[in-house]
Amino acid sequence: MNMRAKEVIFTLAITGVGMLLANLIGFHVSFMESLPGVGVLLVIALLGAGLKAIIPLKLPTVAYCSILGLLAACPISPISQFVIDAAGKINFTAPLTMVGAYAGMSISNQLRTFIRTGWRYIIVAILVMTGTFLASALIGQIVLKLMGTI
Amino acid sequence: MKEKAYAYGSLRERIKTEWIIYLLALVFILIADKIGQIRIPVWKGTFIIFPIFFSLALGLLTGPNVLKILDDKKVKAAGSLVGVAILPFIAKLGINAGAQIKTVLSVGPAILLQEFGNLGTIFLALPVALLLGLKRDGIGAAHSINRETNLALIQDMYGASSPEAQGCLAVYITIGMVGTIYFGFMASVVAALNWFHPYALGMASGVGAGILMSSATATLTQIYPAMAEQISALAAASETVSGIDGIYMAIFIGLPLCNFLYKKLEPKIGRLTKYGRREQA
Repeated sequence: MNMRAKEVIFTLAITGVGMLLANLIGFHVSFMESLPGVGVLLVIALLGAGLKAIIPLKLPTVAYCSILGLLAACPISPISQFVIDAAGKINFTAPLTMVGAYAGMSISNQLRTFIRTGWRYIIVAILVMTGTFLASALIGQIVLKLMGTI
Repeated sequence: MKEKAYAYGSLRERIKTEWIIYLLALVFILIADKIGQIRIPVWKGTFIIFPIFFSLALGLLTGPNVLKILDDKKVKAAGSLVGVAILPFIAKLGINAGAQIKTVLSVGPAILLQEFGNLGTIFLALPVALLLGLKRDGIGAAHSINRETNLALIQDMYGASSPEAQGCLAVYITIGMVGTIYFGFMASVVAALNWFHPYALGMASGVGAGILMSSATATLTQIYPAMAEQISALAAASETVSGIDGIYMAIFIGLPLCNFLYKKLEPKIGRLTKYGRREQA
């Protein structure tokens, strides 16, 4: 991410507004009720971006955010109950609408290329997604059965 | 020491360029979340269309190909904003995983081993690509789920104008356009077949592409509301592991395997169609 800390904070704040809005419009959760959850998610996101900037490993920022979220919510964390309750107010799909808007814009200049893409590639793309999902589910199923979990 | 290259001279400069992107995104949230979820039963599955799909479709219209509100520079800027906006969602998934840490740890070995399932694309997609007459571009197309890291990897290994990179890019774009809606629908069809435990489906959702994972997970949690917490926790754990190991999987297993299969299969099934027998440039 080629952004200064200030820029990360600002763009994350905008994302926070997007989450508040989506949670209000889509799920009728008031701003005040969403605020602690949005705060928790933004702080973790910011810390994740910070770790990415200072740790010289080739790990994606999402890996840090995911691990930080996990640590904050797992039983050893002193604030786990607060974190879980606050984040629980944010509906699962509420943070995603803004991601979709940006993602749509970011590929909007490929629309013409996509329309010209041959049908062969579209078939292959569908199989790529299906194959990855099915094979992972199959292995997961077998291992879970062998372990006796299911 | 080398000065780090920033996209903009200052925060002010960023806002001056990007304000229209923020504004559009917020307006699209208003529209998309107002429409809300739409469920359409199709055959054994259900198309659950989430607001993310509407905002994505609206976003697509803004670019240089249709409404021309955004120019190429702003389109690129939106791309880097995706990377920021997804972080709070990933944090939320991490929290779900932390809250369900017992479940996650109890199935740890399954999560690690199902990562190899991400190579499943090769056995399904590569033979079909060859049957359809694709050549080296089929390797780029079928080697992985083809997200940003894979695109960078293939361009680095084979060159940006190589057939491998073209194939990879074509699938990258196609998944960007149709992946969000297809992946969730496919997950609902597979769930309806009842072959797999919801835990296995949750793990399978984490393929190393945030938007695909979220679409499948959102759908699965609607189908199995009683296990929603566990499903999203397992999806998050698997997604995190995929994000870390994905590139190594591609380098050390995916691409060598593709090249091996290509050598074996292309002479046999790659020339069945007229398109497959065409002259190579």
